Amino acid sequence: MPILEVKNLAARYTNSGPEILKNLSFSVEADDFFAVIGPSGAGKSTLIRCINRLVEPTGGEVILYGTDVLKLSSTGLRRLRRNIGMIFQEFNLVDRMSVMDNVLSGRLGYVGSTRSLFKLFPRSDIDRALRILHRVGLLEFVDKRADALSGGQRQRVGIARALMQEPKLLLLDEPTSSLDPKISREVMALVKEIAGEFRVPVLCNIHDVQLATEFCNRILGLQDGMKMFDGTTETMDQQKLDEIYAMEVL
Amino acid sequence: MSAPSATVVTDLPPWRRFKYPQSLIHFGALLGVLVFLAYSVEYLNIPLERLLTMFGKIGIQLSDRYFPPDIEYIQNRDYFGSVLDTVQMAYLGALFGLVLSLFLGWFGAHNVTPSRRLVYPVARLITMICRAVHEMIWAIIFVTILGFGMLPGVLALMLFCTGFAGKLFAEEVEAIDMGPVEAMRATGANGLQAFVYGVFPQVRVAFTGIAIYTWDVAFRAATVVGFFGAGGMGWYLKRNVLQIESERVAAILLSIILLVFVSEVASAWARQRVAKMQ
Amino acid sequence: MQTEQQRITADQLLAARSVTRWRRAAVVIALFLLVAWSIKITVIDDTDWERIGSLGSIVEKSGRFLALDVSLLPKLIEPAIETLMIACLGTLLGVVLCIPVIWFGAANVTPFKPVTYPVARMLMTLSRSIHEIVWALFFVAAVGLGALAGVLAIAMRSIGFIAKISAEAIEDIDPKAVEAIQAMGGNKLQVLRYAILPQVLPVIIGVTVFEWEINIRRSAILGLVGAGGLGLVFFRQMNTFNYPGVTTVILAILVLILLGEVLSHYSRKAVI
Ligand SMILES: Nc1ncnc2c1ncn2[C@@H]1O[C@H](COP(=O)(O)OP(=O)(O)OP(=O)(O)O)[C@@H](O)[C@H]1O
Ligand SMILES: [Mg+2]
Repeated sequence: MPILEVKNLAARYTNSGPEILKNLSFSVEADDFFAVIGPSGAGKSTLIRCINRLVEPTGGEVILYGTDVLKLSSTGLRRLRRNIGMIFQEFNLVDRMSVMDNVLSGRLGYVGSTRSLFKLFPRSDIDRALRILHRVGLLEFVDKRADALSGGQRQRVGIARALMQEPKLLLLDEPTSSLDPKISREVMALVKEIAGEFRVPVLCNIHDVQLATEFCNRILGLQDGMKMFDGTTETMDQQKLDEIYAMEVL
Repeated sequence: MSAPSATVVTDLPPWRRFKYPQSLIHFGALLGVLVFLAYSVEYLNIPLERLLTMFGKIGIQLSDRYFPPDIEYIQNRDYFGSVLDTVQMAYLGALFGLVLSLFLGWFGAHNVTPSRRLVYPVARLITMICRAVHEMIWAIIFVTILGFGMLPGVLALMLFCTGFAGKLFAEEVEAIDMGPVEAMRATGANGLQAFVYGVFPQVRVAFTGIAIYTWDVAFRAATVVGFFGAGGMGWYLKRNVLQIESERVAAILLSIILLVFVSEVASAWARQRVAKMQ
Repeated sequence: MQTEQQRITADQLLAARSVTRWRRAAVVIALFLLVAWSIKITVIDDTDWERIGSLGSIVEKSGRFLALDVSLLPKLIEPAIETLMIACLGTLLGVVLCIPVIWFGAANVTPFKPVTYPVARMLMTLSRSIHEIVWALFFVAAVGLGALAGVLAIAMRSIGFIAKISAEAIEDIDPKAVEAIQAMGGNKLQVLRYAILPQVLPVIIGVTVFEWEINIRRSAILGLVGAGGLGLVFFRQMNTFNYPGVTTVILAILVLILLGEVLSHYSRKAVI
């Protein structure tokens, strides 16, 4: 039974604009580390954002744990989002806030408005934050401001924030594109370990095919919004890669 | 190989500083503005010849009428009391205005407004009206409705500060990085939470700077709103202007200038501190 | 062992946080009391609540403003033009008077820094510190009632801001261009004309247009103290208790300001 099922998904940014995703279907299983690859502009980020409706799809279905995401009300959507961790290419941390507050902000979906207004997080959240910071190796940085950290450390704060959500699915939008190759590998390894520990499926956009084949068990190849490949990593070969990236060569 | 000399090229394109349609429009517009200005001088009956001798005259007048300022007149309890009133009026007006403008800055910023169709234009309109109507007009209107006193002064300053800071706040919010806001929304945060955690930390320092600036403007205005019955030092000014007590007026003006000057120096210092906080 | 260590960190962290939180709470409460005290003095004690009466009468009094006096409209055209002209001439005069202040007030071009620089900075602050109403009172006393006093008041009030921004722009220029002109043997005037002016002219024009827009708003009220324009009409409507007329004048001022905003938007686009 797949955890996430995407059926005939379509998306466009403006009514008159081009269709960015075209009739896309695939599914993610409970223990998948699922990669989405494709040339720049293929629609990878758009696809990821459609899952938690940061971009509104124009058609199709997204079924997550049995609920149809596209039919949810705005309250229902917020409920759902708090169980979907998201990790961004540019980290999207609040630079002027401390690491602790950045991590705690992963709990916002659980904490009431008034409490969050005065940063009154429950004790259990703070404990959880410390445990997770310890896990990602940043315990000594709790009170540092986010902009005092290096790129790799910042992305680990991003991972910690996502883990605070008690996620049932992790969405990664090119988590390593702003990092150098060595750090990229470390971050991917960390995500993979953590996904195993917390038993969360991962859906990950990635530009670097090398990394994708190294860490992911399934690959979805996108080209110009259309599915070009969908299968396990073993079945991916050079010829299929060339097909997916054909547009970029031209 | 010698460098190619300029004479080798024979058919250089012609070049003139005056380019036919653009330059003509340019000069035409300039001429239009100048003609309008000259006509204004005529229309307003401004005696240009007097303008030249005027500075001498003003000097004579200053020494004649306004000198020496009647410093003793302002050295009493009542006047000090009115200064205190002015300060209080200014900071209450600025404070209330800043609180209101926080909401206008949020609702009237195109990137984070709760609704672009409804809330955004309404917030913009309110900001625009508060800003465009001069604080003295607000003061006069509130005095007619509520009577003399400091309450109309506080309200007038409040509306003025709301418009003033609201616009600057909104501009500041529109310039933020939307990434963190999106990240907050992705965790399931609601609108208020996304503002408090995603937007506010990014603009806090800028807001502090704007708040100091708002205080400057509010205090400057507070010294004068009393002229129209809204409390503070302005009332003394009005009374003595009407009674043509020029030496007292001079003393009051001096005290106003001094106070505003002190406040400006203090806020310049505060602004520097804030800038260092980055 | 590790969890033990973690516990301690958590406790320490919470303790540290609660100290700062208490301190912050104390400051907030103190400020709150101060504000409450001010409100009591300025608003509650000072207001003649009897005279204001009930909420109903406030609403009733405010309601008087919610009407328009259309018959006034034709009489507004001339004062509106006057207001606009006062703003234009005041801004122009302000810019002219600005030139020496800018020259003296930019640290890198000021002729004799120990004296001219602080003097110019003083003038800038003085000009901005004094409210336009005060400037107008001063000039009405000096040159009599009428538009001239308004023009002078606007000019004096504008100097500070235009000069400050422009002087700062000169201080921030790219020195390479200056060096280039100096290197080819340009004199001071040439440096000013070909290296400095082109760099700062857009800023000066921009800030002037910006100030002009604000000056429309200012000149619309100078009539309150006898300097002509829409303010005078406003004053008369107020004195004759013609509240719909007051609203009409305010709307006219808004229209004028809107016009100024549109004009400045286009002129800025054309210039920059
Ligand atoms: N906010 C937006 N408004 C309009 N068009 C957009 C927007 N964001 C992306 N697009 C368009 O959608 C298409 C797909 O963009 P998307 O960001 O999903 O690609 P991508 O595969 O993630 O590329 P990259 O590898 O460069 O991140 C592009 O053609 C892009 O121009
Ligand atoms: Mg992308």
